[in-house]
Amino acid sequence: MEGALKLWAIIVLVGALNYASRLSFIAIFARRSIPPLLARALRFVPAAMLTALIVPMVVMPSGTIEPLSPRVVAALVAAVVAFRARSTLATLAAGMLALWIIQAIGG
Amino acid sequence: MTGLRQLIASPDFRAGFVEMLPACIGLIPFGLVCGVGAQAAGADALAAFGLSTIIFSGAAQILALQLYAAGAPLAIVVLTCFVLGLRLLMYSAAMAPHLASLSPRWQRGLAFLLTDQAFAAAIRRFNATHDPRRGAHYFLGCGVALWTTWQSTNLAGYFAGNLIPVSWSLDFAVPLCFIALVAPLFRTAPNVTAALVAAVAVLAFGALPMKLNLVVAGVLGIVAGTLAELAGERWKAR
Repeated sequence: MEGALKLWAIIVLVGALNYASRLSFIAIFARRSIPPLLARALRFVPAAMLTALIVPMVVMPSGTIEPLSPRVVAALVAAVVAFRARSTLATLAAGMLALWIIQAIGG
Repeated sequence: MTGLRQLIASPDFRAGFVEMLPACIGLIPFGLVCGVGAQAAGADALAAFGLSTIIFSGAAQILALQLYAAGAPLAIVVLTCFVLGLRLLMYSAAMAPHLASLSPRWQRGLAFLLTDQAFAAAIRRFNATHDPRRGAHYFLGCGVALWTTWQSTNLAGYFAGNLIPVSWSLDFAVPLCFIALVAPLFRTAPNVTAALVAAVAVLAFGALPMKLNLVVAGVLGIVAGTLAELAGERWKAR
């Protein structure tokens, strides 16, 4: 399968699975209790999955690992702000400003 | 229509909408990046709109587009996006007791609007009010604000994203939006363990094709967090 048809297949299948996940315990399995081990494991999905997404975007934006790039420093600044303020807007502002300042100084 | 008008006039709906606005402003660059990504991957305007309305998840949209552009098989794209979307299962489980007394129509509607940002705001409200109807109105306000922002910024990114200078590094807004969600979780040792293991694994398995390192790192991180929590409880029980 190629091109536009494949993209629509992705949209429909990923969309359907996403909606099924959102609806799962609210409606589909509402009358069943969650197995305790599954409930425990699910609580670590955000920390694990979001970190797995973030790290490559920050550490290797161009495909090779750069441990001390402006992006890494800016991401650490943003993480400290996010930890304390719990605000998307404050995190975004701190991270983008840090990146722009470091890039301006570094040339 | 009077029902709808009453709903929109309700103080809880308005509070949800207004309190979500700062997060919506923070999501503007992310939405733009998703629109640009759709355009760069060769999607037509209708498919770009389908991505943002039907999938309605920035992380899944970005990942699906990257894998599509790299020519990954359909099954791999769907599997990777499903593992990424496992956190929606967790949100659904946490939300379920608060929505149990509502009608199926409300449940289906609110489930459609269940995103990282709406979940974080609405679960705080539900825990504070203990009134399912008022909490649901607040949740709906959050969801409508996010949905509107997401569709308009995705479309703007698709049609006008190439006007944004590359030197602004707008793509960096994507990891920043995720950092805003994940960093506040680092208050417990098992969450920190899950994140550390996922971070090391995603780099260590970087050679795997088609971003399978994401799936491997996610699963290893979940297992590590679960084991760390169990070990911590056993330690305390001694």
